[in-house]
Amino acid sequence: MSGNIPNPYEPIPMRILRAYYESNDRSLKTFELSFDNHKDCDEFFSKYNPGQFCQLSIFGKGEAPFGIASAAWEGNFVRFTVQKVGTFTEYIHTLQAGDALGMRGPLGNGFPLTEWKRKNLVIIGGGCAFSTLYALTKHIQHPQNRPEIEELIVIYGARNSGLCMYKHDIESWYQEEDIQLHQAIDVPEDGWFHHVGYVPDVVKEVAPSPDNAVAVVCGPPIMTKYTLPTLVELGFAPETIFTSLEKRMKCGLGKCGRCNIGSKYICKDGPVFSMAELQELPDDI
Amino acid sequence: MYILNKKEYKQIIAKWLDKFDVFAPQKAGEFSQFLPVDADSELDFTEPHNTRYPPKALFLPQSETMMRYNRRLNRSEGGQEEIKPRLIWGIRPCDAKASSLLDTVFYTEDDGDPYWIAKRDASVLVGMGCTEPCQTCFCTTVGGGPFNTDGLDALVTELGDEYYIETLTDKGERLFAELPIASEEQQEQVQTLQSKVKGAMEPVFETDNLKEHLDDIFGSDYWDTIAESCLGCGVCTFLCPTCFCFDIVDEVQRSERVRNWDTCMFRIYSQEASGHNPRPTRKERTRQRIMHKYSYWLDHIGEIGCTGCGRCVRYCPVGLDIRAMLNTANAYESEGIHVG
Amino acid sequence: MPEIKVELKKEIDRLLNEDVVDVVIAFKKADAPLRPQPAFFRNVDEAAELEYNGLCQNNLANYLTRYPQDTRIGIVVRGCESRSVNALLVEKQHHSENLYLIGVPCRGIIDIKKIIKQTGEEVTAFAEDEDEVTVRVKGREVKFNRKDILHDSCLRCVHPNPINTDILLGEPLPEGDPTVARQAVESFASLGQEERYAWFRQEAERCIRCYACREACPMCYCTECFVDHATPRWTESDISPAGTQAWHIIRAFHQAGRCTSCGACERACPMDIKMTYLTEKLNEDMLEGYQFEVGMDDTTQPPFASFDLDDKNRFVL
Repeated sequence: MSGNIPNPYEPIPMRILRAYYESNDRSLKTFELSFDNHKDCDEFFSKYNPGQFCQLSIFGKGEAPFGIASAAWEGNFVRFTVQKVGTFTEYIHTLQAGDALGMRGPLGNGFPLTEWKRKNLVIIGGGCAFSTLYALTKHIQHPQNRPEIEELIVIYGARNSGLCMYKHDIESWYQEEDIQLHQAIDVPEDGWFHHVGYVPDVVKEVAPSPDNAVAVVCGPPIMTKYTLPTLVELGFAPETIFTSLEKRMKCGLGKCGRCNIGSKYICKDGPVFSMAELQELPDDI
Repeated sequence: MYILNKKEYKQIIAKWLDKFDVFAPQKAGEFSQFLPVDADSELDFTEPHNTRYPPKALFLPQSETMMRYNRRLNRSEGGQEEIKPRLIWGIRPCDAKASSLLDTVFYTEDDGDPYWIAKRDASVLVGMGCTEPCQTCFCTTVGGGPFNTDGLDALVTELGDEYYIETLTDKGERLFAELPIASEEQQEQVQTLQSKVKGAMEPVFETDNLKEHLDDIFGSDYWDTIAESCLGCGVCTFLCPTCFCFDIVDEVQRSERVRNWDTCMFRIYSQEASGHNPRPTRKERTRQRIMHKYSYWLDHIGEIGCTGCGRCVRYCPVGLDIRAMLNTANAYESEGIHVG
Repeated sequence: MPEIKVELKKEIDRLLNEDVVDVVIAFKKADAPLRPQPAFFRNVDEAAELEYNGLCQNNLANYLTRYPQDTRIGIVVRGCESRSVNALLVEKQHHSENLYLIGVPCRGIIDIKKIIKQTGEEVTAFAEDEDEVTVRVKGREVKFNRKDILHDSCLRCVHPNPINTDILLGEPLPEGDPTVARQAVESFASLGQEERYAWFRQEAERCIRCYACREACPMCYCTECFVDHATPRWTESDISPAGTQAWHIIRAFHQAGRCTSCGACERACPMDIKMTYLTEKLNEDMLEGYQFEVGMDDTTQPPFASFDLDDKNRFVL
């Protein structure tokens, strides 16, 4: 049988469809990747669930995990926003439309959308970790999916307006009736008419109701650290608060051992966990 | 049940060589390890215990090329090695059991590891029972035994000048079916021998509630004490038959993506790109090693992830003994004492 | 209890009782059969576990760099260990005023692998005197001439007596013979290039990259070892010949003028790889070219770590 089984370590051949800077300082760049083969495309979308991630693969440079920033209905492409932080991401930033790269995924569990059915959803994101939450929002916005969720609140903070991602699309959300959007930047700027302040404070200010609601928080560790207790204060139970962990990962399949914390492999059992699940894990994060 | 005269094992191996790549313990320098066998090979069963270098390397090689690639095109060229049928002769029960444990990691349904699966599917495992367990062996403590058959296709027990062979699967049966059948007397002798050897192996630490003990003392200073002399090298984990962590690296000179054994005992293993290291000292890293084997494995499959092979005890450069560590852990919790 | 152990115990108790030090680094009784462990005594009760015999195989100076410089450390040192401590002091790895060296002249470390080779693994008891070692194996006693089972590095030892100690316990031993010490290097050097390379290759290629040699070495205290560096990567990461050979040769070169020939690297190696023949050669070169022997005091920089403005060679400046 071994000859026929798919090799989960073999990257899917992908090509860059579009590449564009997402932030004024050029630290964030978005890539939309298309599939070389239809079969890979079909297989990918048969499995994909928002909140999952992929390993982007550059032969000779290695692999690194990135959250998926697009919803399936947007088209036969997969979107990633890559922050330039090290040599690998620096290299990716040099790539342009037409360039080839590899991708493994979708990996991980994604957001538990069936569990969230008929609930109010509070989406809270900060910085470039908002990418998977953007995918989640896009997914819900599709007319077919929208009835699955009751009220939809999105709180999204960035350090400054220049770092706000997916600007043109997100600005249009203000016009939509079935989404309540709160954008924030850390310090005041000329021409900024939305919230000013850190995400946990904005959450306090917006004060979403915990009734029949779940909250999902993705952001830099410091933001997550202070937002979780804020939600608890507002009355959210640990079972209704979700977050996505970022860990050093290699295989993305729960085999190489690197992202093991307690009984979980972050790459396979996560990256999305409820706060209740996290409280069960040993303090090894 | 079959009988093979010890003097005739070479003939039978020679016969297998047509069909199989045969691997068996052979002396390489001062100690023995599993190496490919040819008609002239001298096998080495003089060491009463398992080989120093673990036979897990037959399924999960320390370094393994996963694929070749074309860097300019940024595309994989595949290149998974073809595996000929393999016969592994003389693997000890602790190491065979470890292979079964590792199947739960690699031989999984939806995302099975094709490199592991190819080698496992191609292999027949003939085990060598341990008639003389070492003072550092503790298989019976962790649910195994000197004649444990987990993961084996056949088990050989030394009986004077003869090998007594118990076939356990069809694969195993096919290997030995032409041999003379053991007499009832021989069967009885083997049973007596096996239970005598097994009975002489006293449990060396308490495993009831060990997981709960360890979970309870996760945040305690027990770990400071036991890890104090640890060098932070990879001896215990690399030689361990159940340790499976690996790293994936692109070797640019050869245009190959390879995986190498890696270990939670290395600082850089858990070092994140941001600079944050969730396991910054040997204390957290030793804790991860012990917790993984004696707590997290139980969460996953309900079994301890250690087969009592004794290698970590025998080869630790500073004489750390996991048996003593676990006894200390048990005492730490139940008596509430603070060690050190 | 052997006399030296009694004296050690007395001195360690005194240091802890009189609050001269915060911790004493020594050896304690074995958990694993016949494998005394490095120990860290903070009070007299803990020190009751003290062990000291020929099986104490680690270089305790290795643990010095784990402590902040203001920790007052007492440490049991034999000849090589005292020189490692001195070498670390030269490299400013601890304050000398916060160190208390308890010196013990050393008769050499027993290579347990040499015993096992003859008796098998089931050694259950061990006794030694000046010339003889007795072990118990499966109910019978086996006697060894001490010299026959010493570790190779100890057979070559020139300085069995610790240097620069705060107290010396026991009687000083005669110094070793430098010509004997040189024999191993000379016989290796007398081989042809191909034979030397074959030997190097055969040793290096058994390497499993566990880095026990590095971790057992007092002088390998870098926060990030060259071999762990990812960008750029200095060696192949795997157990290919290119990878293991690069590790062994570069590791050795980093020891030039720093290795005290203690042999802890070889004793730690799970694959019995010989590696001191490389460092011994470098030590030899240091002695010949620069009249330098590491660790003989705690101030002299190794030749490759020092330069002066009047250097007759121009390459540095």
